[in-house]
Amino acid sequence: MKAENPRQIGARVQRFEDVRLLSGVARYIDDIRLPNCLHLTFARSQMAHGRILDVDTSALEDIGYPTWVFTGKDIGDLSMKAHQDVPEMQYSEQPLLARDVVRFVGEPVAAVLAEDPYLSEDAAEMVFIDCDPLPVVGTMDQARDPSIPPIHDGWKSNVFIERQMKGGDLEAARANAAYVVRRTFRNQRQTGVPMECRGVVAQYSPGDRMLTVWSSTQMPHLVRTYISEELDLPESRIRVIAPEVGGGFGVKGQVFGEEVLVAWLAMKTQRPVKWIEDRRENLIASIHARDHAHTLEAYVSKEGRLLGLWADISVDVGAYSTFPFTAAGDPGMAAKVMPGPYDFQAYEATFRALASNKCPLGTYRGVARPSAVFSQERLMDEIAKEIGMDPIEFRLKNIIREFPYKNVLGFTYDPGSYAESLEKIREILADDIAAARETRHSKEKRIGVGLACFIEQTAHGTPDFTRRRVPIETGYIAARVEMQPDGTVVIGLGLQSHGQGLETTMAQVAADALGIDPKDVFVRHGDTLTSPYSVGTWGSRGGPLGGGAVHLASLKIADKLKAIAAHQLQSNKDQISLGGGKAYITDDPSRYIPIRTLARQALRNVENLPEGMIPGLEAEYSLDGPRDGTYSNAVHAAVVEIDVPTGKLKLKRFVVVEDCGTIINPLVVDGQVRGGVVQGIGSALFEHMIYDEQCQPLTTSFADYLMPLAPELPNIEVHHIETPTPLNPIGAKGLGEGGAIGPAPAIANAVSDALGVEVNETPLTLNAIWRLSAHIRGEAS
Amino acid sequence: MTQTTLTVNGQTRTLEVEPRRLLADIIRTEFDVSGVHIGCAHGVCGCCTVHIDGIPRLSCLTFAVQCDGKEINTVESLGGFDATHVLQQAFKSEHGLQCGYCTPGFLMTLAPYVEKKVANGEMPSDEEIREAISGNICRCTGYHGIVAAVRKAISNQLEGQQA
Amino acid sequence: MRPAAFEYHRAASIEEALSLLAEFGEDGRPIAGGQSLVPMMNLRLARPEHLVDINSLELDKIERTGDTLSLGALVRHERYFNEPLIAEHFPAFLDAAHWIGHPTIRRHGSLGGSISHADPSAELPCVCVLHDATIVARSVNGERRIPASEFFISAYVTALEPGEMVVAVELPIPQRKQHGAFIEIAERMGDFAVIGIGAVLELDGDTVLDARIACAGAELTPVRAASAEQFLKGRQLTEEVAQEAGQLFAQSVDPVNDYRSSAEYRRHLIVQLTSRTLMRAMKSKA
Repeated sequence: MKAENPRQIGARVQRFEDVRLLSGVARYIDDIRLPNCLHLTFARSQMAHGRILDVDTSALEDIGYPTWVFTGKDIGDLSMKAHQDVPEMQYSEQPLLARDVVRFVGEPVAAVLAEDPYLSEDAAEMVFIDCDPLPVVGTMDQARDPSIPPIHDGWKSNVFIERQMKGGDLEAARANAAYVVRRTFRNQRQTGVPMECRGVVAQYSPGDRMLTVWSSTQMPHLVRTYISEELDLPESRIRVIAPEVGGGFGVKGQVFGEEVLVAWLAMKTQRPVKWIEDRRENLIASIHARDHAHTLEAYVSKEGRLLGLWADISVDVGAYSTFPFTAAGDPGMAAKVMPGPYDFQAYEATFRALASNKCPLGTYRGVARPSAVFSQERLMDEIAKEIGMDPIEFRLKNIIREFPYKNVLGFTYDPGSYAESLEKIREILADDIAAARETRHSKEKRIGVGLACFIEQTAHGTPDFTRRRVPIETGYIAARVEMQPDGTVVIGLGLQSHGQGLETTMAQVAADALGIDPKDVFVRHGDTLTSPYSVGTWGSRGGPLGGGAVHLASLKIADKLKAIAAHQLQSNKDQISLGGGKAYITDDPSRYIPIRTLARQALRNVENLPEGMIPGLEAEYSLDGPRDGTYSNAVHAAVVEIDVPTGKLKLKRFVVVEDCGTIINPLVVDGQVRGGVVQGIGSALFEHMIYDEQCQPLTTSFADYLMPLAPELPNIEVHHIETPTPLNPIGAKGLGEGGAIGPAPAIANAVSDALGVEVNETPLTLNAIWRLSAHIRGEAS
Repeated sequence: MTQTTLTVNGQTRTLEVEPRRLLADIIRTEFDVSGVHIGCAHGVCGCCTVHIDGIPRLSCLTFAVQCDGKEINTVESLGGFDATHVLQQAFKSEHGLQCGYCTPGFLMTLAPYVEKKVANGEMPSDEEIREAISGNICRCTGYHGIVAAVRKAISNQLEGQQA
Repeated sequence: MRPAAFEYHRAASIEEALSLLAEFGEDGRPIAGGQSLVPMMNLRLARPEHLVDINSLELDKIERTGDTLSLGALVRHERYFNEPLIAEHFPAFLDAAHWIGHPTIRRHGSLGGSISHADPSAELPCVCVLHDATIVARSVNGERRIPASEFFISAYVTALEPGEMVVAVELPIPQRKQHGAFIEIAERMGDFAVIGIGAVLELDGDTVLDARIACAGAELTPVRAASAEQFLKGRQLTEEVAQEAGQLFAQSVDPVNDYRSSAEYRRHLIVQLTSRTLMRAMKSKA
């Protein structure tokens, strides 16, 4: 007889969280309803830049129902501060309610509370904000123009920060180059748009002096720490709960002023306070993303080898630095990852964060990498064209093949499948490439094939954040695993699941280590009272670090179970295996004890334990990421068909070959990849947060901010190569963001291939494609 | 205030309702139903889709007072706590949801669509399915799993009819 | 994003609706499907003090009277697809209906609502102008019959007076068989058009006896292509002729320029889509 021990890691397990989401009983932030609650609506700035002369709330005095109103004058010095601790950084501080100056449209100016959300909205409309306009900084050129005054007092310029990164001998690369290829690339401003807007509910209970804050956040512990520091309350008296979270994508991966303010208001009014962001607020004032401009210059040998790369990176990060990744986050990340999957040893980048009178920039799926890879992979195609090589050949010639590989900036890449992925995609696309060639001279329909090859640093450890000197400070994820007397398991997880299926995948990992059914594992997350301290879910780290922590904590319990079993079976614990709900002698599975029995003994019938063993089955593990992270890799390919006379683009095919190491659950992995890809398609084709010259946002509803809809999309084909990383206990690399990184460059390369022109900007709207095809129509472009 | 009688998931109540209250809000606050989600409140995302007398409608573009005497059903009425409806099961097996926020809207848009296709014995193309959900936005799945779930829910029932 | 307060009135008869609208004047608005009005109210871009719900009125008939097809203001968009009189006599209308919004919007949105909203890039106002429709409006003062060409005054502005509402749209049924088509270009399916072109042809073989062309999305109201229509009469319709008609149309309009699409692009689309729509209309003959 052989005990069954099917491996759960790798199994296509249907998600445990689905039933409550499908049935409608899941409770999101707006479902948190407390008696006696006050509802908050903000009066927000309608001016992009102005000096506040007066915030007139007198109209509320005879409104006919109770209201509470607070302005910047009422809240002391409460603010959001997010500083990178380097001398070049110019600090910004955003008061939770603007005090003297408003710096973007949508900035909160007054907080208006009433006993009903319709009434608070009515009341907030009656707050009159009198502002004297100040000159706006709306473009990168304006931000770098010394004649335009800085938007923050005491600043020398409108540059938050400008720094360099370099490695190797760029002068030598330049001197040895047979080809020098220089291009400028631009990606538009976007926002992340989770389908659930943000929201915060707070309640202060004077009895136990406990402040409870519910927030639709990806990082409950960091919210707690920030509130504690800003409101000067002990962390032990604050509980932050992320209920069901309706999508995050990085947007909810920062601490927001509203979280602090709602907590403060609940204490101030001694009543529960609730704020639910509306969609307009979400679009104009939650967090924006991308908005990169890069100029790259590549030095290439006669034989087509990359010798070196020079980069100049600017990012319009908006009016304020955001916590915890700061204004330096996007430009720094772009500079760091620009070398990509290619083998060259000379690099120099200047990167800067520019201030503007726009919504602050923060993290959104991919964080700078969609833009960096856009520039990198467009440039690879441009170089290939210039030196007359096939773009895939050119990439294969320069791709890193030997691991571990130390890149030009000193980052070490763990093993991946870079060349294999390229080979594989070439095979998959052979017919499309041929079909595209057939249309090369058509004035009606053109087909193009483009790809993007990239790596993604994931699950980076604390040293990576220490180097950045930003307030995120650390990168570990903790898991506490507790087996109950009946043999079922509760995991307290420092991650927060908002669609990633962690309640299933983490259960799979634990089940393998403990030899039990994953259905018997209950994963709790998103509540600081029940989860060990961690920095939350972001940075493609849930699978590797959460999974690794759960695995290692579970092994500690497995070890104890084995010791108890060995004691009772009169064996040695090395001879015991766990599987199928049993602890059995590896060589004689007929001799076993149900794990349930062992659990009861460990927690209740403790008289049966080996002499001296401490009762209990609880273990915790905090797993930090590897110093340089672990590198996932992927190739994305797009096949587009362009109707030249109208500029209408049809995405005929989108193919992904990806390698995220060990796959915990293919259902979930495919879902993450496809979802990411469609967001990336949004970046490539549709989504654009547009401001006019006065920095008024124009795309303030879903009628104007266009996201991909089902009819515009093909089925997304996903292929896997699995190269487990030696740097993680279960071999997993991160994959949550990767899907969003490749589509814009792949689609831009496909459009470039189809039309035979450079494509250096996104989004590729109808009008943009039409303009790019002017030469085919015989017009001057 | 306008006296309004609503039946939500079989529960009938007569309320004094301020005319401007959106049906979505009244269902959520007065009937304590959490399966109606507000995604945009301007009629674009489809998250708030409910059935009024059996027909899908956006509850953010409907005032509760307009629904006097009507029967309203939300996702809760489809397959109960266990989400037993064939479409819910297909969403689960095909990974047609991630964060779940848009999911009730998709289900309420699609349930009559699937029923109609099955009644007509038709298997729609992917293109037709994609058009059927063109008024619903999902930000997580890329729609792939949703299209697969619709296909599966219809084909399972069509096969069941043949058997 | 919730509406400002208003008073709600459910009208039991047209007379009651009209008398309520007369009483409220500028402050009153009829509501049918609410697919255009309620988003504006939620965004507080529209704040009527009184809503007159006309959903229970019998304004949802589609009927033929002599040479006129009359569509009630409360006909919902999805019904166009199942109406043989539309399919037979107004193929361009039917073609245009496919481009309206999404299934849920088509189910609830009404003809009267769409044309009263008068979005410059919407399909139905364009269809009305294309087919020389008459908009029948009523108020307590009686009925006004307004030619579509005079009904749309600017973006979101119509010839309706305070207290007046659309009760029907009348389409003249053509004497002879007509061929029609409607094509539009939008960023995504269901979005309002960057440019939409409708065309109606009366043909003898390949020869155009009569032509009508209208465009949505170019200017603040739907526009007709007088010069192109004139040009086509008596000509054999070929790709080249269709292109030329498109050129003529494009020269006669002054397209809007906005952050989404330039005037040049719109002008160019008018040429391309006019030509394609004409050819599609002709091919529908087969």
